[in-house]
Amino acid sequence: VSRTYWRSLAQIEDLPEYRDALEREFPEGASELPEGITRREMMTLVGASLSLAGLAGCRRPVEEIVPYVAPPEEIVPGIPRYYATTFPFRRSGYGLIVESHEGRPTKIEGNPAHPSTLGASSVRVQASVLGLYDPDRSPSIRLKGARKSWNDFVTAWGPLAQAHAADGGARLAVLSESFSSPTLARLASELRTRFPKLQWATYDAVSDENRLAGLRQSTGRDVDLMLRLERASVILCLDADPLLTDPETIRHARGFADGRRAGALPTSSGQASGGAMNRLYAVEGVYSVTGAMADHRLRLESRQIAAFVAALAARLGAPGASSQAAADVPGVDPRWIDAVAKDLLANRGKGLIIAGERQPAGVHTAVCALNTHLGNTGKTVSYYETKDAALPSVSALTSLVSAMKGGAVQTLVVLGGNPVFDAPADLDFASAMAKVPHTIALGHTVDETSSSAEWHIPRAHYLESWGDARAVGGTLSVVQPLILPLFGGRTPVEVLGLMVGDKDRPGYDIVRDTWKPILGEAFDRKWNRVLHDGLLAGSELTEVVPDVKGQAFAELARAPGAASDLEIVFVPSPSLHDGQFANNGWLQELPDPLTKLTWDNPALVSPKTAETLGLANEELVRLDYAGRSLELPVWILPGMADGVVALTLGYGRRRAGRIGSDVGFDTFKVRASNAPGFDSGVRLTKLGRTYPLSATQDHGSMEGRPIVRESTVAELRSAKKEEARPGALGVFEEEPPHFSLFKERTYDQGHQWGMTIDLNTCIGCNACMVACQSENNVPVVGKIQVAKQREMHWLRVDRYFTGEPSGNPEIVFQPVPCMQCEDAPCEQVCPVAATVHDGEGLNVMVYNRCIGTRYCSNNCPYKVRRFNFFNFTKDTPDILKLAMNPDVTVRARGVMEKCSYCVQRINRAKIDTKLAGRELRDGEIKTACQQACPASAIEFGDIRDGSSRVAKAKADPRNYALLEELNTKPRTTYLAKVRNPNPDLAERSGA
Amino acid sequence: VKRDSELLAPIRESAQSGRPMHWIRVHKLPDFAYFTHRAHVAAGIGCVTCHGRIDEMETVTQMMPLSMSWCLDCHRNPAPNRRPVSEVTNMKWTPPRDVRLLAAQLGGRPVNPPTDCSGCHR
Repeated sequence: VSRTYWRSLAQIEDLPEYRDALEREFPEGASELPEGITRREMMTLVGASLSLAGLAGCRRPVEEIVPYVAPPEEIVPGIPRYYATTFPFRRSGYGLIVESHEGRPTKIEGNPAHPSTLGASSVRVQASVLGLYDPDRSPSIRLKGARKSWNDFVTAWGPLAQAHAADGGARLAVLSESFSSPTLARLASELRTRFPKLQWATYDAVSDENRLAGLRQSTGRDVDLMLRLERASVILCLDADPLLTDPETIRHARGFADGRRAGALPTSSGQASGGAMNRLYAVEGVYSVTGAMADHRLRLESRQIAAFVAALAARLGAPGASSQAAADVPGVDPRWIDAVAKDLLANRGKGLIIAGERQPAGVHTAVCALNTHLGNTGKTVSYYETKDAALPSVSALTSLVSAMKGGAVQTLVVLGGNPVFDAPADLDFASAMAKVPHTIALGHTVDETSSSAEWHIPRAHYLESWGDARAVGGTLSVVQPLILPLFGGRTPVEVLGLMVGDKDRPGYDIVRDTWKPILGEAFDRKWNRVLHDGLLAGSELTEVVPDVKGQAFAELARAPGAASDLEIVFVPSPSLHDGQFANNGWLQELPDPLTKLTWDNPALVSPKTAETLGLANEELVRLDYAGRSLELPVWILPGMADGVVALTLGYGRRRAGRIGSDVGFDTFKVRASNAPGFDSGVRLTKLGRTYPLSATQDHGSMEGRPIVRESTVAELRSAKKEEARPGALGVFEEEPPHFSLFKERTYDQGHQWGMTIDLNTCIGCNACMVACQSENNVPVVGKIQVAKQREMHWLRVDRYFTGEPSGNPEIVFQPVPCMQCEDAPCEQVCPVAATVHDGEGLNVMVYNRCIGTRYCSNNCPYKVRRFNFFNFTKDTPDILKLAMNPDVTVRARGVMEKCSYCVQRINRAKIDTKLAGRELRDGEIKTACQQACPASAIEFGDIRDGSSRVAKAKADPRNYALLEELNTKPRTTYLAKVRNPNPDLAERSGA
Repeated sequence: VKRDSELLAPIRESAQSGRPMHWIRVHKLPDFAYFTHRAHVAAGIGCVTCHGRIDEMETVTQMMPLSMSWCLDCHRNPAPNRRPVSEVTNMKWTPPRDVRLLAAQLGGRPVNPPTDCSGCHR
């Protein structure tokens, strides 16, 4: 099958601007100095530390060594240490192993023993180390803006508590984020004992409240679910994004990839895959990463999902499902639903239906009933009671706000979260808060909420905190600090501890108090074990079997149905989530997986919707919805359902800090408490102005050449032996004969490093990009520089569409690091031998030799070289320098840089094994991208060792090299993507 | 050792006060060159090879050029600078006249110091 792949609408329409941009290696003006200095350039160019004084004139500055007087036990300068901890996020906890250099955490990896991370990580986990060193974190407690000390607060709290205790806490309220933590839950219940009339509300801007309500309907209890995608052969996602925006993204991606592997590689759990590849169906209105991975994707508005579920239930013959509902869903080919139903029925116990968080409770109840009907419960999905948890509830927030407005609240404690920014707009939280005499807000920065509170308490980062969490499935995990609070922050545990006992107790003592009854006898020994492992083995909760009742489908009919007007959908940002990570430069500059936009959140619409409304990319519109309006630009995303406007949450923060303030548009302004997920009745009005957006999608195009290759399971199986040779799959031209004008070097000694990237399992989540940025000290350049194609990411993830732009195009993701060509074109043109080959096949970059001609980048067919147009790192605020990896050179202005296969990791492992007197083992060296990848799509190792995983991957028939015909002999190769279409739907894919 | 030495007074003071000494770095490599003592000690390169006779210096000064070509000289031909690991800190060690004896002392393991850029520059 011949397919064309395209990156952007500009490319497929072959607009002159696109062609112009493509033909320039560096865009117009790339080598000019910036004219007007904008605020963000100010940040990168001037920065916080103008440390010019002092050293001028010295040829060789005097350097001092300041050693420890009494060296801490086990710390050897230069040798990193690793500790287990947990990153609590909503009601999840990510088990981590954190690398620490002389007491400063520098790099975060997943904990292989932890069920939530399985050794991998995500963009937020990787970027959280930068959050620790955020220079805008609040340095002190504030009372109405004036600096105070923690002791001042403790003193002030005493009389306040006494006053509230007198009336049972009737006029005291706590607003928290949701959590799942034994210590916080214990303290919360002790607080309720002390103040029985206390009002406690839990609010998450992005919440799974609907799912909780739906499952409460099914089970009569508060239950969470745990998905086992690795066991599912047929997966149906309904407006759901389990692979990226779900809190358990890492675990889901790993499970999905394990079920996806169609090639020779064993799964991460070590079992050989028998070619039993899963099949993913996605029904969604807003293009998600999950939809991009789907074998069949149906574009459907969020409001129509309920009707879809009813139609599906009827076809599946679920008891209680109305057969009338088998009537069609408007605009959906009934054969599509037939085929999905048939597939699910044929795979009883091996299927899985997942409903998205923004869907109403009725859909979740119905999906739970369908999974049980199909025998999937207990196999691919299991339920367990929420324990030690605070569950989000918009109605609790609503009643708290009305109490606040009515003057019934004397003291409000905001225990984390940022309700002034992200509470539903109709509640007007800010003015309600102004009516409360005493407000106490815990926040990482003096954010929107903290700045309007009476007391602000700086919040400790999780890497500075003692705490605990119940991770997915109930596994008890411990949050262990790696560093003392840099800014004197306090944890929610410490604040609650003070509120409970009026005594200032360290978090360590409070957490240990919780764990004493959990661990029982021989506490200290078991506690040390838990700290070492990061979790308590065997602490999973028991499963709850849902009791499905006949009326499971009754609610579906009441869900909003089809409407002819535009639908508005609120989606969390894959990077910033609800805005809490807005001041993180790595996350702001990370291109969105689908739009490839950085530093912004335009309204997303489909090409057809844009055409109907007469809109183009970057055009400003006024969005009117439910009596509120918002001005923001539009971006056309092919594959969106027609008639859907998607708004990304988390941008437009007013007080995030120097990075995140006033970036993008505050979409919370139009989000109401009755429809936090989606709603009808939105209107877009063209304003006739434009707003520039910085997308990376057209940067580094390798146009017209067979870049991504794909096949289907059926083709793979039917391929004859001789055709199943490496590289024989997919679409590509006849290869020309290969020869080199240069003397070719042979690589037959020692280790020869190579890499494979499996396009079949890559979900395009960008975790590799942030991992690389963290490991290799890659700078952030800002929105304006990104627009000039000066982003510095060593590893990019290309996103290709294939299919009709205005229809339902499919997507392929392709991570592109340096290919480490054996015959590297970059080396042949460097006038100063700054980029040369080493004996192990690495194309190395010698920064100190580089004079910045940029010839190498011109000659690189893969466009993976990055140039430091400015001294991006020199003026980094001092505190951010602590996040740097000391094993990697920090580059100066005017030098090229690029992926090095994490040569520092290779060398460390080589030295370690040499000292230990043994050979390197396969898998001992993991590159940062490989280690972070939740889908285990990246293999790295010695290609001369035939038994290595990478060598086996390269022997896979799907293996191919990018632009093979150029005879660059890349060491990084790709495994072609494989789709697993349903034969019943084969004709209609891409419809 | 030299309990009353005036020169060592700052060290005694540091140990007592807990305030760290501010030493002036003499042997300095640029930040873009990665160096680890571990590998060099394990390969049997004596302290004196790079640092000179510190024990005879009134004030420590840099005796060797510590330049890249000087590093590479040894990386390309480490044999003349190798000694048994037990003798690494011995300032006065001299190689035995019998080459075979030295070979026996060094053990059979060859050292393969890197000569590629990536060995030290990352």
